[in-house]
Amino acid sequence: MRNSEPGSPVSSIGGGVPAADADAPITRLLESMRPELLRFAHWLARDRSIAEDIVQEALLRAWRSRDALKDPGAARPWLLTIVRREHARLYERKRLELVTLDEALDTQASPGFPEPGGELFELRHAIMRLPIQYREPLILQVVGGFSTEEIARELTLSATAVLTRLFRARNKLRVICGLAAAPDAAARESLP
Amino acid sequence: MTCEEARLLIGADPGATTPALEEHLATCAACARFRDEMRSLDAHIRRALERPPDMAPLRSGRPPSAWRQWALAASVVLASFAVLAVWLLRPSDTLAREVVAHVEAEPDSWLATQHVSAQGMAQALRGAGVALEVTSDRIRYAQSCWLRGHYVPHLVIQTSRGPVTVLILRHEQVRARRSFHEAGMTGIIVPAEHGSIALLARGAGDLDDIARQMQHQVHWLADAP
Repeated sequence: MRNSEPGSPVSSIGGGVPAADADAPITRLLESMRPELLRFAHWLARDRSIAEDIVQEALLRAWRSRDALKDPGAARPWLLTIVRREHARLYERKRLELVTLDEALDTQASPGFPEPGGELFELRHAIMRLPIQYREPLILQVVGGFSTEEIARELTLSATAVLTRLFRARNKLRVICGLAAAPDAAARESLP
Repeated sequence: MTCEEARLLIGADPGATTPALEEHLATCAACARFRDEMRSLDAHIRRALERPPDMAPLRSGRPPSAWRQWALAASVVLASFAVLAVWLLRPSDTLAREVVAHVEAEPDSWLATQHVSAQGMAQALRGAGVALEVTSDRIRYAQSCWLRGHYVPHLVIQTSRGPVTVLILRHEQVRARRSFHEAGMTGIIVPAEHGSIALLARGAGDLDDIARQMQHQVHWLADAP
C-alpha cells in the first residue's frame, strides 16, 4: 500500500493496481516472498507494524532495482538482504530500538502460538530478548539461510566475529533451556 | 583443534561439520556431547523461528507467589476500571479507525510528488470552512474527501520526517490529544479551534510538532457550512 508507485507491481501487492504483463513474473515473485520477508523483518524489528513498513519499503526498492536480479533463483537472498538493510537504515535513523520489548510483549497474544510455560514459548521470548548484535546474525543464519561468510559480508564483520556472535546467541539460549552455559573463549576479548 | 575452537564452531553452527572438527569429536566425548545438545537446541530454535514472534505476555520463570496473584487480580480490576473510564471519556472510538481506513483507502496519496496547484488547494478546501497558511510547495496531495457525513480536506504535506497526512475535521470534536498506531501508521488527533485535526505518518515517530504547526496554520472561517 504505502510508498508504492502507481502502476508498479509493488503497488498491486497492497493497493490493487494491476501490473504490466511484462512485469507479471517479478510481481508474482515479490508477492510470493512477502510472508517470508515479513517474518524475517518481524524477528529483526520485533514489531509487526514496523516490519510491515520495512517490507513494503524493501519491496519498493526491489521493484525499482528489479533489473539487477538476473537469476530469479537468487531472489530470496537478494530480497532478504534488502529487508535487512532497510531494517538497518531504520535502526540507524532512530539510533535506538523503535519499540520497547515490554511494549511488544504486552501486545495481544496471537491464537495458535505456544502456550506460556512451554519451552518453545520461553525460547521465542528469549530470542526476542537477545540484543540486536546477537539476534541479527542468528536470524540471518536460521531464517535467512545465510552462511557465516555471507553474514560477515552483510554486517561488515570478520567471519570470526560472526562465529563469536552466533556462538554467544546460542549460548544465551542454551541457558534459557536449562543447559549450562559453554565457556566463552572470546569473552576476554572485546565484542566483535 | 582445541575444545574451545570446536565449541565455537559448534555453537555458531551446530549443523556444520569440517574434517578437523570431526577428528576432534572422535576423541573428545565432552565436545561430542556438546554438539548433540546444541543440535537439539538448534532444532528448537528453528521451530521457534518458523513463525513470526508471538506477542503473548512473558511468563515469569518463577511460580507466582500468593501476594503476586492478589496483586495481579487487583491490577486487573484497576486496569478494567481504567479501560472503562477511558472508554467512557473519549469522544469517539471509531474516529481514529475511520481516519485510518480512509487513508488506507487512498494509498496513492502518499506517493504524490508534485506540488498542488492553487486551484487544487481551493477545491480541497472548498466548503470546509478553513484557510491554510501552509506553504503550497510542501503540499503534495490535496483532496476534498467524504468522511463521517462531511467533506473534509485531506492533505499530504512533505515534512522533515517524510510525508504526513492531515485531515481537517471541522465537525469532529475531541477533548484532548489522542494517539493511535494502526495498519503501520502512527497517528494523532488533536483538538483545534473548531473541531479537530488528524495527522498520520507511516511507521513510528513523533507528530506533535507538526500538529502544533497545523493548529497555528489552519484558520477556521466564521462562515463555515
